[in-house]
Amino acid sequence: MTVGHRAEADPVTHPAAAPPPVPRRRVWGDGPRSALATAALLVALGVIWEVGSAGRLWSPEVLPAPSTVFPALRALAGDAQFWADAGRTGTEVLGSIVCGSGIGLVVGVAFWKAPLAGRVFEPYLVSFYAVPLVLFYPVMIVLVGLGTPSVVILASVMAAIPMALNTWVGLAAVPPVYLRLARSIGCTRRQQLLRVALPSAAPYVLAGLRLAVVYALIGCIAMEFTTAQAGLGYRIRYLYDAFETTPMYAYILVVLVVSITLTVLLAVLERVVMAGRSQS
Amino acid sequence: MTDRGIQLDDVTVRFPTSGGEQMTAVDQVTQRIPERGFVSVVGPSGCGKSTLLGVIAGLQSATSGRVVVDGRVVTGPDRRVGLVFQEDSTLPWKTVTDNVRFAMQIAGIDRAEQRRRAREAIELVGLTGFESAYPSMLSGGMRQRVALARSLALSPSVLLMDEPFAALDQQTRLLLGAEILRIWRQTHQTVLFVTHDLSEAILLSQQVWVMSYRPGRIIDVIDVDLPADRDASVVSTREFNQLQNRVWESLRAESLRGFRQESGVGA
Repeated sequence: MTVGHRAEADPVTHPAAAPPPVPRRRVWGDGPRSALATAALLVALGVIWEVGSAGRLWSPEVLPAPSTVFPALRALAGDAQFWADAGRTGTEVLGSIVCGSGIGLVVGVAFWKAPLAGRVFEPYLVSFYAVPLVLFYPVMIVLVGLGTPSVVILASVMAAIPMALNTWVGLAAVPPVYLRLARSIGCTRRQQLLRVALPSAAPYVLAGLRLAVVYALIGCIAMEFTTAQAGLGYRIRYLYDAFETTPMYAYILVVLVVSITLTVLLAVLERVVMAGRSQS
Repeated sequence: MTDRGIQLDDVTVRFPTSGGEQMTAVDQVTQRIPERGFVSVVGPSGCGKSTLLGVIAGLQSATSGRVVVDGRVVTGPDRRVGLVFQEDSTLPWKTVTDNVRFAMQIAGIDRAEQRRRAREAIELVGLTGFESAYPSMLSGGMRQRVALARSLALSPSVLLMDEPFAALDQQTRLLLGAEILRIWRQTHQTVLFVTHDLSEAILLSQQVWVMSYRPGRIIDVIDVDLPADRDASVVSTREFNQLQNRVWESLRAESLRGFRQESGVGA
């Protein structure tokens, strides 16, 4: 009895009676709350770090207290050497992201356009994925020398691989009816790609971009660690060798902040692009 | 102007199969739909109904024969021909309005005109109030209305519909069928409607073509002489039932043959 009554009293389940929905463009989502939670977590970690150091749970040579690391961090702001290193690493990372994702996008589109090429090259691309490309850094140094280009080239290749694979998979997953629609309304090949196929594949492309950014960052820092003579990675290793633990941690914090900033920027981009698409 | 409408001259479409043989999807179809006519094609699944539609839309070319729409031979996609697909073809990253405007943007219609026509088309399909909703918030039936509005906004002279309600439940199908009739009376397109639902075909159209299982031929043409202003209540009349029996008789043998071949019984 109550069941029948309920079904009738619930007009929302009937599509024709549904009220016009409010467009949800909540790019920030429940941002304030999660930002607060993150801040609380960071503060808690900082407190543990400080208390642990003060209580001598570990030696200050291994991990100095935040009360000594943060002043060192502030000192970096006025340090020309730091800005030179940061500039070099920033250029490398940015260059690798742009080149890598650009190349990856083009390769992904090409594989989609020429399925035969895709089938031929896919196994190599996938196995390349598993190879630690940093191994080829010495080869790059021999080929193009010790400067920025050798780092950017390898990091770009590292970034391009996930971008290419994701773009390709995303394009292959475009519902065929979208392409038939595009043709039926007279889209040129270029419009089919830019107005229909790529927007449809955007969630995959974005996932690829995320990986590309991570790989570019890892690649650049790791290569600076090994042989370069400037950059944040190089400076961290140099300070480590010189037992200058406190500034070393300041540098590590800088790298962390850079990577977190990139992640947040990508998350914002994702929210904008994914607006309106069905999300679970 | 006698040459308006759709003219099919000896249209044949063959596909190479994986076994290296030729499969004839559409075989020597010669038919005519007069201007503002509403014709339904029924036939067993896999008989080439969609292929026939694709050829008229210019999405694929006929192996031989030709299609003439409004006096011009079809050589490729044409904006005078609107197409509504069986699958959901609304683009999920665009709002209802942007979906409807998309075809007009590609056609290069100016912005003010786009807005005006989008508003009209959305009103015509009964989606006013949902302009800024995304497809993910709409039901399947509403998404098909969006697709229909997108086609109508280009004001095509011919509308081709490929089982547009196939994925919807029976109640929604009936309601949308009545909507299609109402819209068609307002817009006066020449319509070719593909379906596998006999009562839907009879309810909507002036003429029903029965297509055979491979090779796809039009084996029967049945005129529907029901009142022009009929609505869903006509389904329960004797005339409707007679027509349905007539169509089913033509179709039954073909459906059985198609079923046997698809399930491998005949092999």
